[in-house]
Amino acid sequence: MIRFEQVTKRFGSKVVLDQIDFEIEKGETFVIVGLSGAGKSVSLRHMIRLLTPEAGRVWVGEDCVSEASGTRLQQILSRFGVLFQSSALLQWLNVEDNVCLPLRQTTNRPDDEIRRLAVENLKRVGLEGVGEKMPSDISGGMRKRVGLARAIVTQPEIILYDEPTSGLDPVISRQIDLLIDSLRAQLGVTSVVVTHDLYSALGIGSRVAMLHEGKFVVCGTPEEFIASEHPVVRGFLQAQGIDSLQDIQKAFGK
Amino acid sequence: MITRESQNYDPPVNPVAALGRRVIEACQGSGRALLLLLGAITQLPYMFSRKNRADVMLQLYTVGIKSLGIVSVVGIFTGMILAIQMGLALRMVGQEGQIGTLVTNGMLREMGPFMTGLVIAASVGSAIAAQMGTMTVSEEIAALDVMNISVERYLVMPRLVALAIMTPMLTIYMDLIGIVGGCVVGATMLGVSPEAYWDNAFRYSYNKDLYVGVLKAFIFGLIIVSVSCYQGFSTKEGAVGVGRATRRTVIVSFLLILMLGYFVTRLWYQ
Repeated sequence: MIRFEQVTKRFGSKVVLDQIDFEIEKGETFVIVGLSGAGKSVSLRHMIRLLTPEAGRVWVGEDCVSEASGTRLQQILSRFGVLFQSSALLQWLNVEDNVCLPLRQTTNRPDDEIRRLAVENLKRVGLEGVGEKMPSDISGGMRKRVGLARAIVTQPEIILYDEPTSGLDPVISRQIDLLIDSLRAQLGVTSVVVTHDLYSALGIGSRVAMLHEGKFVVCGTPEEFIASEHPVVRGFLQAQGIDSLQDIQKAFGK
Repeated sequence: MITRESQNYDPPVNPVAALGRRVIEACQGSGRALLLLLGAITQLPYMFSRKNRADVMLQLYTVGIKSLGIVSVVGIFTGMILAIQMGLALRMVGQEGQIGTLVTNGMLREMGPFMTGLVIAASVGSAIAAQMGTMTVSEEIAALDVMNISVERYLVMPRLVALAIMTPMLTIYMDLIGIVGGCVVGATMLGVSPEAYWDNAFRYSYNKDLYVGVLKAFIFGLIIVSVSCYQGFSTKEGAVGVGRATRRTVIVSFLLILMLGYFVTRLWYQ
């Protein structure tokens, strides 16, 4: 579904992605973890052409997103829904209008239908009766949900989550994790999640990859990840107090 | 897509290289601002579309109606200052009765469009840069790009329409208010009757003065929208970057208004 082919990216003298290769299968939840500044969000941004690689290519299906332009690029982007780290809601629009925005601006559907879809998707992410509120009047967790409702209202094939639980308390973070998991099951979408929260990663990911110094030091199932002997992975697991998968999988009903 | 990666260069090795880099960046910036303006112009056919007309109306209101107060104050005091300075000079040669002509010509040709341009750049232009800058650093612009929503159409075009229409209209309003201010000073300080003032005001003023002033205001509107949107979209480094973008918008707009104002005057009044 998404394929990185020898992708290299550097900012100044710092090499953030160093000839990385990986492929994300259709329908899976692929989680990228790593320390701050490891290049997790940079990888995500390459998938939607907010960044372009200095070398290598990024493929989405049969299309090379890193070389596409114009209508072709628009067609590729229409396959994506993105939940940004800051939620990226337009502050002068209320919650419902934010969710309606992509349909209003990119389709000719009647407004009644657009509003119905917005309400339906807000309900899907557990938000009812907040459509008239402004983004500044709701909590961070609710803003993430609104951002998610806006990301899925166009029925994308792929949803990208950039640090979906950052800045949220543990209870709300788990709710967002469960929502990501349930959306994958309900909509059958491919999900790519960038996070530094290993508990989330191991709970929702079908595969987890750890980015360190521009390379993936491990990429595999949660079981393979937790069994890794790589010192960076071990350090990361220890720092977050994780030594087994059982509790996490139990919490996620797996 | 508006979202552009920032250029990654190695640090300049000497002052000449640093200067060269600044020149190249200035040229690139000018080109991008111009392309942004052209991109918004190509979206003008959609200004009355169902998707955009509400935004266009909102911007017309924001730029036009909300600026009336400050334009009124600046206009009346500009006219009064012109009247005092010119009136006192003319009184020395016993020609203070001609004050209406000088204030009217001064307002229509230069001070009306110039002061309106500065007021709009400082109030509306800085607000646009701050809004676009905040949207850029909070990833809202990136989100619009990814949602396939044209930023030129959704954000820039309504502001272009508002500034291109409202700057000339506010200029005409400021001209009028300034001429009235001159009349008040003439009557209360210089002993020039309102009848004599208005008679002189229109006797030596020509339609060309008004048209050239309005043309200047139109150009100033285009300058303000392209500079403010470009600076906003180029914002980096969070709140500090937003402040920097706002400051640059005001400085660059002021300089371009001054320079282009001079060249338009020179072209029409050789």
